Amino acid sequence: MAIHKIILASFIVYLMIQFSHGATKERLFSDLEKDALDVTAKPSRQGVLDAGIDKLSITWKLSSTAKKQANFTTIKVKLCYAPVSQVDRPWRKTENELFKDKTCPHKIITRAYNKSSQSFKYTLDRDIPTGTYFVRTYAVDAKDHEVAFGQSTNEAKTTNLFSVQAISGRHKSLDIASVCFSVFSVLALLVFFVNEKRKAKLEQRK
Amino acid sequence: MGDSTGEPGSSMHGVTGREQTFAFSVASPIVPTDKTAKFDLPVDSEHKATVFKLFSFAKPHMRTFHLSWISFSTCFVSTFAAAPLVPIIRENLNLTKQDIGNAGVASVSGSIFSRLVMGAVCDLLGPRYGCAFLVMLSAPTVFSMSFVHDAGGFITVRFMIGFCLATFVSCQYWMSTMFNSQIIGLVNGTAAGWGNMGGGITQLLMPIVYEIIRRCGATAFTAWRIAFFVPGWLHIIMGVLVLNLGQDLPDGNRSALEKKGEVAKDKFGKIMWYAVTNYRTWIFVLLYGYSMGVELSTDNVIAEYFFDRFHLKLHTAGIIAACFGMANFFARPAGGYASDLAARYFGMRGRLWALWIIQTLGGLFCVWLGRANTLVTAVVAMILFSLGAQAACGATFAIVPFVSRRALGIISGLTGAGGNFGSGLTQLIFFSTSRFTTEQGITWMGVMIVACTLPVTLIHFPQWGSMFLPPSKDPVKGTEEHYYASEWNEQEKEKNMHQGSLRFAENAKSEGGRRVRSGATPPGNTPNNV
Repeated sequence: MAIHKIILASFIVYLMIQFSHGATKERLFSDLEKDALDVTAKPSRQGVLDAGIDKLSITWKLSSTAKKQANFTTIKVKLCYAPVSQVDRPWRKTENELFKDKTCPHKIITRAYNKSSQSFKYTLDRDIPTGTYFVRTYAVDAKDHEVAFGQSTNEAKTTNLFSVQAISGRHKSLDIASVCFSVFSVLALLVFFVNEKRKAKLEQRK
Repeated sequence: MGDSTGEPGSSMHGVTGREQTFAFSVASPIVPTDKTAKFDLPVDSEHKATVFKLFSFAKPHMRTFHLSWISFSTCFVSTFAAAPLVPIIRENLNLTKQDIGNAGVASVSGSIFSRLVMGAVCDLLGPRYGCAFLVMLSAPTVFSMSFVHDAGGFITVRFMIGFCLATFVSCQYWMSTMFNSQIIGLVNGTAAGWGNMGGGITQLLMPIVYEIIRRCGATAFTAWRIAFFVPGWLHIIMGVLVLNLGQDLPDGNRSALEKKGEVAKDKFGKIMWYAVTNYRTWIFVLLYGYSMGVELSTDNVIAEYFFDRFHLKLHTAGIIAACFGMANFFARPAGGYASDLAARYFGMRGRLWALWIIQTLGGLFCVWLGRANTLVTAVVAMILFSLGAQAACGATFAIVPFVSRRALGIISGLTGAGGNFGSGLTQLIFFSTSRFTTEQGITWMGVMIVACTLPVTLIHFPQWGSMFLPPSKDPVKGTEEHYYASEWNEQEKEKNMHQGSLRFAENAKSEGGRRVRSGATPPGNTPNNV
């Protein structure tokens, strides 16, 4: 019985530790330095972009108003949802606590911080969903904590947005396979049923 | 056995899981074994097995059991297959929260109707064909997920797949042709619980299949479509196995079903009337909607919830979600057992208290789950919630056989349909709108469970009492005979149609609790209105 008590006690202690986790102060988005980097994101063509095909020309450089650049170690460039793509979709919600924030789930590239202007030609990934987007770059310090950011749109996230159309994920081969298996299922059933009825009739006649 | 030939409601015999001691027509407590029959298990005069040997696959009895529960489980797998993949599907199809919620409602709504039809299908074609037809004809609906490109298509396909949950009826019906009624309760209860496990298995299976397909090179938005081929193939495989290895009756031929019954068949309209006018029926419909119903709703939302709230990987969320459904393996029988234990000491009042306590506790743990902020507390709360909800399902069907003897089949069917209806309603209110976040929805679902379990206090049996009231002391109205015989009118009693009910009433006296068993033998039980 002693071992049961020990297991129960350690479980309770573990639970208490978990409970207390929530008490630490979380890092907030509002604490980050705004517009520390000037970011532009230019689509390769006009209109709605196709995932997997079209490209974005992204450039970023240190803004003249930046103050905390001494801490910058790495730059993380991410693709973010504009507010219109967040409506009725709570899994894309913007939250102030950085660990909860789901605005920018798609990673574009991560590069070491360089004072000079940087650029990257990004081909939209094939798993980018349909929606309206902008680009944000986070400046991260040596402890992997976000310190500052810059984005290709204004603070209200209304300008310079671009739209992406996702791939459908459907394939002709998949459709054909699906039809084949469905037909097989129905036919197998009918063949078996008719066969058994016929055998039963033959037996009855005997 | 006059009631095994397609009498209205007969397809639901045995579904309740607590009928073993209250067999409908076995007059003697010991079932005579037919020693001339050469079966793997001891059988009765109809060649139905009298023993339940779990790890055997011998034909025909145990083979039927395994074919039956696995096909039912397969249907649960395919009905809830979309749930753990929703984080991928919602991005591919550009779904909103409302679309996801509506698809969840659709997935449980189809079977409300199909379960009612399935009884008739089993009566017409037999349970083997009923099962095979449903499983193989619903395979195309599973495969058609590969065509879906928007919310409307997604909702439609989930609705169509949901029809296959009617295999519940064929499963229970088939087993009642193979197992003696003394043990049919245990057999059917085990089959129902293990079938429901499919809702947990799918949460584990689909993310793993999806991961494997992705690692093989497919993009996310194609991989989930290919993943649906797995439940589709399971449908075909189980259909073929059922057709080839299964048989309708222990002796093999179906034509024996068409025997002439000596007992006059009961009228559907009458049975329906007695089912519908018994207020206890509707309380159980509500109750089951908040034990089985919340189980189905949770099957639909829990994986996505863990994925989003705790930033888990898809297959990790799937493993946790699977624990919820898999608890059915022992939780549902445990609920029935707890009810039986309470009945041993306190009779029916004990059963009612047991049901109320278990279901309310389940509701409170659900509230805790919604309010849990860390992963560990959420998992603990979820497991306790699953035990409460699933044990409540078992405890519900431990009481349902006593509500009515004449209309048992229909009441069981209505209660089962109530489960699906409750699930649809809960998902519609709490998980389909932007008004509530998912954690708020879960919290309010827990509150609703507690509130909707309160009507148990209103269930009163004149012969046994209720949670707060003792049994009636009236010497006529306070007897089991009066309660069960009151479902027959004078003309029917003159034709002796009510004899089964009287035998049932006799056996049901044990629901009076210890005071009945330990008291003096009750005076002259022979009913004097023959």
